Amino acid sequence: MSHLLERQAPRQQSQRQAWNARTAGVLLLMTALLLLGGCATGPRLASPVDMGVAERTYIDGVPFHAQRDYQCGPASLAMVLNYSGVDVSVDSLIPQVFLPNRDGSVQPEMQSTVRRYDRISFVLDGNFTSLLEELDAGHPVVVMQNLSLPLWPMWHYAVAIGYDLDEQLLTLHSGEEANRLESFRRFDATWARSERWAMVALPPGELPVSVGPRRAMDAIASFEQANDAEAALPAWRAVTERWPQDAMAWFALGNAEYGAGRPEDAANAFRHATERQPDLAVAWLNLGLTLEGLGQRSEAHRALQQAAILPSRWQDDAEQALTRFND
Amino acid sequence: MMKKLSRVLSPLLIAFLVLGSLPVAAAPQAAPANSLVTTQDALSADQVSADRERINEMLSRQDVQDQLVAQGVDPADVEARVAALSDAEVRQMAEQLDDLPAGASVVGALVFIFVLLLVTDLLGLTNVFPFTR
Repeated sequence: MSHLLERQAPRQQSQRQAWNARTAGVLLLMTALLLLGGCATGPRLASPVDMGVAERTYIDGVPFHAQRDYQCGPASLAMVLNYSGVDVSVDSLIPQVFLPNRDGSVQPEMQSTVRRYDRISFVLDGNFTSLLEELDAGHPVVVMQNLSLPLWPMWHYAVAIGYDLDEQLLTLHSGEEANRLESFRRFDATWARSERWAMVALPPGELPVSVGPRRAMDAIASFEQANDAEAALPAWRAVTERWPQDAMAWFALGNAEYGAGRPEDAANAFRHATERQPDLAVAWLNLGLTLEGLGQRSEAHRALQQAAILPSRWQDDAEQALTRFND
Repeated sequence: MMKKLSRVLSPLLIAFLVLGSLPVAAAPQAAPANSLVTTQDALSADQVSADRERINEMLSRQDVQDQLVAQGVDPADVEARVAALSDAEVRQMAEQLDDLPAGASVVGALVFIFVLLLVTDLLGLTNVFPFTR
């Protein structure tokens, strides 16, 4: 008994210590929150004129699908695909993009599922301005947010469909709420936690307004791999129209023409590529191989020679092709 | 500790490297002579070896299929899902599927966190509760 009593004192002490620790913890938390609050400011934006966008915009006619359970991914995809003219239901998207054991959908599969409906998924560059530019151009944007804090994440997909620069408000179809208005500041705080992941889904031939040639070409090449050259052709044509000086764009168009069974058009595109960038060995190589197939032997020989002379990753391939050609 | 770890890891790594290079040696010398260089290969021109890449890609696609089944996806849907992924996405899925954020809009939180998140919601830092604007 006395033994027990003796032990009581230290326990009281340790309880007091625990209580002290809790107070300290709460104080620390409050300080942290105040500090965090001090850091959180809205996105800094240029004037609408400098950004080249309207003061406000609202994309009419984006259908709203309320999410059920954890299925904001399939619901968001259905909204942008439907808007783009694809007739697909949330129910048919669920087995294509949802991960049952994760109770959610991951970004790579959001991107890949779009391709299964003859639409190209372009991931934007993660700037607030780019988001506004796409909305201004009439492209609804799928965004990923972490609505909670990094420690207890609550990942969420929503579809941005409009904004008002005056009121600093973004309009979103989100979760169970259509046309939800969110302040730029709060939206950006939650969006920043996904490293500002944003995606548009466009039919081949249309390009996002905010992306550069490399980003566009990566997206189209991924689409082409999952579908076929014929389906990707309009997209490559759009890229060469938008960036006519980009040799890789012409090279890619050449490959798509070739894959679609038009070797003459392919050779023309490869020629454009070599004119724009005479040291692009891979374009000389493909030009040579294409012309060889067309029976235009002298020009084919010249092209293969160029490819074999230029130092590149394809030099060995070019030398082999040249040897075979000479035999 | 580190020594112990590396003693276990290095033979494994060596084994993997050897295994990784075997299929390359076994692969046919070159694709049919007249095939063009693909756009995907040309765009990813900084990679060392296209052949090796392609084989790794095939292995990771198989790997991702298995992972999706483990995540509860119907095996009948798995093949088409993986086929739609680009090479870069396959790599991302194969390497870090468990770490990728899955959009679900749920939070596994306790009451204490509930209060915390309410405060951060009111501060405009988070957006967990629909009634806070």
